[in-house]
Amino acid sequence: MNAEVQKVVITLPANADFVDIVRLNLYGIASKMGFSYEDIEDMKVAVSEACNNSVLYAYGQEGGMVEVTFEIGNDQLSIKVKDDGESFDRMNRTENTVTLHDKDLHDVEIGGLGFYLMEALMDDVMVDNEAGRGTQVVMTKRLMRSEEKV
Amino acid sequence: MNTNKNEKFNATTERREGSCTVYLSGELDLSVAPDFRLVMEPLVGDSEIDLVINLKDLKYIDSTGIGILLSILKARHGMDARFVVEEVPSQIQRLFDMTGIAKFFAASRNSQ
Repeated sequence: MNAEVQKVVITLPANADFVDIVRLNLYGIASKMGFSYEDIEDMKVAVSEACNNSVLYAYGQEGGMVEVTFEIGNDQLSIKVKDDGESFDRMNRTENTVTLHDKDLHDVEIGGLGFYLMEALMDDVMVDNEAGRGTQVVMTKRLMRSEEKV
Repeated sequence: MNTNKNEKFNATTERREGSCTVYLSGELDLSVAPDFRLVMEPLVGDSEIDLVINLKDLKYIDSTGIGILLSILKARHGMDARFVVEEVPSQIQRLFDMTGIAKFFAASRNSQ
């Protein structure tokens, strides 16, 4: 049971109406693992942003699917969000993951906050983007064992 | 803790003399962004009123929701009209602080 990683995989339509289903699954798995309320809220936001990206950018009009894999480790949870859509240029995007902190309201552009939030809220985020083979985002949160058990 | 309950998004508008408050509840995400825009559209352009959004019962917001708040902020600022976001739950305030949108809300509260 030590080094073993157990996987839970769900496949959903790449549609905004199903992102809350990912959040519900995440809540169940993360709370069972013993993550704190705050950590679960952070992961909910990060995972939803990854799913939003698949819903918004990966597919054209016709409905594709998004595959979400929860990798339950001993002391960490990795969540992989994968689509087979036309991957948009996420690598360029990551350079745009600036916050609004040093900006005036006039200069603020709407959008681009999703990736920033993913990186800010998770311990580790990896984006894998092969031309014509979809996009895969893997994000990891480490389980902090606190003194008090919740 | 009832975070695992499916929290349906809802927006209730309350008009008073000179002001309009929109109470949001549930989860504001990509799937309900068009509904939220629809509610806000006629209100944002009304410079006669103080526009208030109350987040007391909002359980969750994603970057789409934050983006809409930002666009309202810009529109109201552009027409010199008051816009306030009030009773922000701590978890959501954290996201506002993190993204940097918080300072604009603070500024719109202090001015005028």
